Amino acid sequence: MLKIDNLHATVDGKAILKGISLTLNPGEIHAIMGPNGSGKSTLAYVLAGRPGYEVTDGKVTLDGEDLLEMEPHERAAKGMFLGFQYPVEIPGVSNVQFLRTALNAQRRARGEAELSAGEFLRVARAQADALGLDMEMMKRAVNVGFSGGEKKRNEMVQMGIIDPRLAILDETDSGLDIDALRVVGNGINRIMRKPDKAVLLITHYQRLLDIVEPDFVHVLAGGRIVRSGGAELAQALEREGYGEMAA
Amino acid sequence: MTLLALPSNREEAWRWSDLSALPKLIERVPTGEVPDELPWIDCDRDGPRLLFVDGRLDESRSRLGPVAIGAVAVETGHPLGRLAGKKGWSLKLGRDHAPPGLIQIVHVSTGAADHLTAEILLDADAQASIVETYVGEGWTNRLTRITLGKGARLMLSRRILGESGFVSLTDQAELGEGASLVVATFAGGGRDTRLDGEIDLAGAGAFAEAAGALLARGRQRHDVNLVVRHLVPSGTSRQVWRSVADDQAACSVAARVEVARGAQKTDGEQSLKGLLLARSATINAKPELEIFADDVKCAHGATVGELDRNALFYLESRGVTPDEAKALLTRAFVADALERVGEEKVREAFHAEAEGWFA
Repeated sequence: MLKIDNLHATVDGKAILKGISLTLNPGEIHAIMGPNGSGKSTLAYVLAGRPGYEVTDGKVTLDGEDLLEMEPHERAAKGMFLGFQYPVEIPGVSNVQFLRTALNAQRRARGEAELSAGEFLRVARAQADALGLDMEMMKRAVNVGFSGGEKKRNEMVQMGIIDPRLAILDETDSGLDIDALRVVGNGINRIMRKPDKAVLLITHYQRLLDIVEPDFVHVLAGGRIVRSGGAELAQALEREGYGEMAA
Repeated sequence: MTLLALPSNREEAWRWSDLSALPKLIERVPTGEVPDELPWIDCDRDGPRLLFVDGRLDESRSRLGPVAIGAVAVETGHPLGRLAGKKGWSLKLGRDHAPPGLIQIVHVSTGAADHLTAEILLDADAQASIVETYVGEGWTNRLTRITLGKGARLMLSRRILGESGFVSLTDQAELGEGASLVVATFAGGGRDTRLDGEIDLAGAGAFAEAAGALLARGRQRHDVNLVVRHLVPSGTSRQVWRSVADDQAACSVAARVEVARGAQKTDGEQSLKGLLLARSATINAKPELEIFADDVKCAHGATVGELDRNALFYLESRGVTPDEAKALLTRAFVADALERVGEEKVREAFHAEAEGWFA
């Protein structure tokens, strides 16, 4: 599904990613772990097409198509979803209005019929309920006045509504207490653990991986993947820390 | 041929104005053609309707109710207001008048210039809600005198639409004790505007609000010059303006609050915000406070910025196209000013116009 080949990228002229290669097949969940500054978030932003992140070498394809040639909204229409580490507050635009616009733009791009307001609200309510987010909050401005945990839940509600094929989740677990972590983790499993979907789960800690069990774990350090393995690698990291591997 | 005595940019109140198109505009021959679809708003409290075509009442498509047509004498020193003449419409409501429903006035301009004066006089406790819509392509010039008695309430909403030309509106208002005036303006379309307002809070405890959303593109100009005078104690005033400029367009808002000696417990607030959609566009914001009393609460804020790049990327990463993302954020930006429109159906119509601006 997603094929990253020798990806190099710079931010403000500074090299951050220095040759990342990684393949995600349908049905797989990959975790990327690594110390601060190793390039985890940069990888997420480069894949989603954030302006200011410049690819200097390498190739990324989504279902065989050149991902790096696509605009951010085109990547979304192709089925990619980025869960933000720091979800953005947008005063004056309600969650419902935003998500209906987004979903219908994606459906238009794929040649599918748009959802009516009523159909959309049914989908939104089901996802909000599943993630324990009050529907009243969905009518409020995007992330404005939301606590850190509510913002992360809202990211997952959005993911549930949009129902992507490929999710890149950038530290979706940060800022969550244990209960919220379980709700969010179960949400990821429910929405994304499917034979035709794939997830790139970027995280610092083992604790989310206890709920969302990865098929593969990669350690990112200094802009490169320095080690790959199965779920047991995450447990080893939890015990031993990054020190040795990143060295 | 008429010689126009127009103010020049050398005068402070006119420094951002461009009236240079007016002499040419008045030579444009009016076609007199009225569009089939007139911008009436469907509403629950349907009231009088007035259709003015090039400044003349179209009687067949109007129903006056309590509105009178004829000589209107309003004194003014304003250079454009002075041109408005001594004819127009007037609305005088007393305490015992049943509210006439929503009064809708549509001004169609088919070329050249037309001038009208209006007088709105609400006696004690009278209430009225008026929506005026401006369409067409010539120069439409209006002078409006508003007098509100004790406890009277007026909601005046204005939509400035149309393809080209110029709209100049000069308002002079005086509010009595506990009276309330809300003037909300939406300027979209393709016409240049000059909006002048002088609002005097002459009775204790009066409330005045002047709000507007100005949207400009191409080489369009919107120009607002507003003064609210607190002459007696305990008055409240709000000025809320949102300007959006694209291309080489310019929006200018000069808004002043004056608090007279002795006008204690005045509560005045100004919020002037501008959004630049292109680096080549211009926003001028000039908030002014002139305070001669010592126990008042006055706040003012003026900001000019661009669309938030983080918000744009967030929207786009969810599949919203770049154009839709800009439209969503811009609409949200002007929403504050349009929320001031009191009638729900009218407010919806204004929001729809704002949405249509991006289409």
